[in-house]
Amino acid sequence: MANTLLEISELKMHFHTDKGVVKAVDGVDITVREGEIVGLVGESGCGKSVTSLSVMGLVPQPPGKIAGGSIKFNGKELTTLSAKELQKLRGNEMAMIFQEPMTSLNPVFTIGNQMVEAIRLHKKEVSKQEARALALEALKSVGIARDGVLDEYPHQLSGGMRQRVMIAMAMVCNPKLLIADEPTTALDVTIQAQILDLMRKLNKETNTAILMITHDLGVVAELCERVIVMYAGQVVEEADVRTLFKNPKHPYTAGLLKSIPQLDQRRKRLYSIPGNVPNPRNMPKGCRFAPRCEFAMEVCREKEPELSPIEKNHISRCWLHSEQKEEADRDIVGNTASSS
Amino acid sequence: MTSSETLLQVRNLKKYYPIRGGVFGRKIGEVKAVDDVSFAVKKGETLGIVGESGCGKSTTGRSILRLEEPTAGEVEFEGADLTKLSGEEMRRMRRELQMVFQDPFASLNPRQTAGSIIEEPLIVHGLGDAKERKEKVKELLSVVGLDSYHAGRYPHQFSGGQRQRIGIARALAVNPKLIVADEPVSALDVSIQSQVLNLLEDLQETYDLTYLFIAHDLSVVRHISDRVGVMYLGRMVELADRDELYEHPIHPYTRALLSAVPVPDPDAKRERIILTGDVPSPTNSPKGCAFHTRCPHVMDICREKRPEFKDQGSGHFAACHLTEA
Repeated sequence: MANTLLEISELKMHFHTDKGVVKAVDGVDITVREGEIVGLVGESGCGKSVTSLSVMGLVPQPPGKIAGGSIKFNGKELTTLSAKELQKLRGNEMAMIFQEPMTSLNPVFTIGNQMVEAIRLHKKEVSKQEARALALEALKSVGIARDGVLDEYPHQLSGGMRQRVMIAMAMVCNPKLLIADEPTTALDVTIQAQILDLMRKLNKETNTAILMITHDLGVVAELCERVIVMYAGQVVEEADVRTLFKNPKHPYTAGLLKSIPQLDQRRKRLYSIPGNVPNPRNMPKGCRFAPRCEFAMEVCREKEPELSPIEKNHISRCWLHSEQKEEADRDIVGNTASSS
Repeated sequence: MTSSETLLQVRNLKKYYPIRGGVFGRKIGEVKAVDDVSFAVKKGETLGIVGESGCGKSTTGRSILRLEEPTAGEVEFEGADLTKLSGEEMRRMRRELQMVFQDPFASLNPRQTAGSIIEEPLIVHGLGDAKERKEKVKELLSVVGLDSYHAGRYPHQFSGGQRQRIGIARALAVNPKLIVADEPVSALDVSIQSQVLNLLEDLQETYDLTYLFIAHDLSVVRHISDRVGVMYLGRMVELADRDELYEHPIHPYTRALLSAVPVPDPDAKRERIILTGDVPSPTNSPKGCAFHTRCPHVMDICREKRPEFKDQGSGHFAACHLTEA
């Protein structure tokens, strides 16, 4: 098995606001190995983006605050690094691409200008001409063969092209890890297919590990080897892609999979998970999914389940198949017996 | 139940936006947002319209309701040509045709309560007195799965899914026959999306509604529609019964589009047709077939002559020269 590249353990990122503490990420464990493509899925507000921004050190602190846990990248602890040291890592060792390629590029500078700036920031010894050549090469590797692109402005490019430019910029220093936060959400399906293809190709050629953050389970099934599902600031299930889609264990994952309309399916009533995502300022007691879960038991409303292994390489945070359940049950029964 | 009766007939609908330039603001070009589109919607059915961004699907929907004034063409609704109606007549006609918008954050007035948002169409169309309207609002809230105490709340106090329910209640208030839903679920999370899709289906059954369902998500459109039309660069390229379209697509664009959709099944076989390049600009749409610049099966005639949108047998319409070869 390949070496561990990124290891997030028990990460807690809390935001201190006027109205109280928002626990956006509350005890998250994620491992990414070298050259691997890992999917991080969940609905809006589940903390998937905040997790990735924490890795990059891009969460403004304050209001954000790392309330616990560690992020290890290549053996190095990131949570204690200074801004300057982090700056050195970002771009060189790890890079990130975002959902909105329009807002990530500066509209008043040409593509070449921005790429050269990024390259020279990380490779001090490179001259302007060499940087331009490197930029051109990077653009070629993402399928932009037109020379003129370097002298064009972001608004002159289509959404798909802009995302290619972003990928080229991210890949120019050969990072070991690429974090992609919803890179295809703003794109049309035919363009999405091109970008996914490109990411797969880059992963094969450069052995860059990719942490793919998305809400689209279709994209996950196409691209990722391993999948992590988040709900309300926590990881609820993790497995390899086949196991997760064929044999989901957590009721949330199963519900999510059942509620997507499938292209090759006849019309029948869609399953839907009742209710809404809980308010992050006011998380339910016990399991966070319990108020929406059709299998909720007494223990689920009382005690928070642990993330525990079900089979090899398959973990889930649910009382339904946890060995500790009986123990917890006994506790509750004991409590109610003694109190009555 | 779908009957064979036509509720809405769109003929040769065009919407061109002028591009002005120069010192005198003369017209120097046109954006052909909708370029000669014809289709019919039958009573009680759901017609889905899919296409990528900029293909003109939303403009088509808005032109039917005359939220955008069509440049040319006819929109026949229950025998009346909507494009010929005066402003006041059209306003009255909108009782029959309502719209549900994409962005539940932008389509509700933040200063109005949910109750007054839903009540407004009733006031505009002079339906009922104050007491009856209050009753109706309560009823509508429960129909879309909200509680009556929600009437006093403001849009920001609702989640995205709940807001979309308010938008649907507003559209239902005047008992319309046709609802044009423009990307009603694309801003919502999957688990909420399925709640809203189920709601739309329930309402269709209860109130005998006809939907024109505009979306870019092919799986959602397949789920909800009876028939599906595919648009590309302002033109309708294919239209057929849902299963026929998804299982036997004729047009090369439809095929490529279908093959590009990521399937949530890691074992699914994928024969992907990856299109090269981007959609051409509608200001300068290609001569002949609009798709010829990206088509893998392009022939000489495609560059010259625009293919006719015609029935290829049993209601499967397509506009492609390949069908004649």
